[in-house]
Amino acid sequence: MSCEVPESAKEAGRRYTRGMLLAGALYIGFVALGVTVIRQMSPPQWLIIVLALLPALPALLMLRTYLTFFRALDEFQRRIQAEAALITLAIVTLAAFSYGFLEEWAGFPHVPLIWAIPAVIITWGVSAFIVRSRYK
Amino acid sequence: MRNRLKVLRAERNWSQADLAGRLDVSRQSVNAIETGKYDPSLPLAFKIARVFALSIEQIFIEEASAAQAAE
Repeated sequence: MSCEVPESAKEAGRRYTRGMLLAGALYIGFVALGVTVIRQMSPPQWLIIVLALLPALPALLMLRTYLTFFRALDEFQRRIQAEAALITLAIVTLAAFSYGFLEEWAGFPHVPLIWAIPAVIITWGVSAFIVRSRYK
Repeated sequence: MRNRLKVLRAERNWSQADLAGRLDVSRQSVNAIETGKYDPSLPLAFKIARVFALSIEQIFIEEASAAQAAE
């Protein structure tokens, strides 16, 4: 019984990795499909809308995979993740809100909303690292 | 809240990872509880007590009662 991580957590980690890899592969596939069809085939507007919404499906799979992983964590690890999520929510929404005013009033360059998820993932990772280090 | 986790673990010659395995939590969780940075939930406190075959009060000491005892 000298394992660093309990077996249940290891299995949850393996499921998380599998889910995220599948979601990542689907995301790349849907983006490649969308770019190819839109650039080369001049599809009708309804098809462009469908293609534009397709990458949301792997994003939903990522969310489901993460929630399953979150529920498998022990209470202390869940607390770290929850704190990191709250910090992320505060930072990303405040940054988006403030940048919105800078765009509107100060003529700052437009940033596409497509960057919302990468911003959340990066901020979450940094926040979780900082929160975890506070408990060491 | 203070606790006697480190002493009890040492008496049994268990590492943090050993205790974590018995409690089905991560080693980091044991470390955070042991250093007083995280207070476990009641179910986990009961589980810890069961693992050491002690009562919760024999493991966890409320700061107020610890200060009272010191006076």
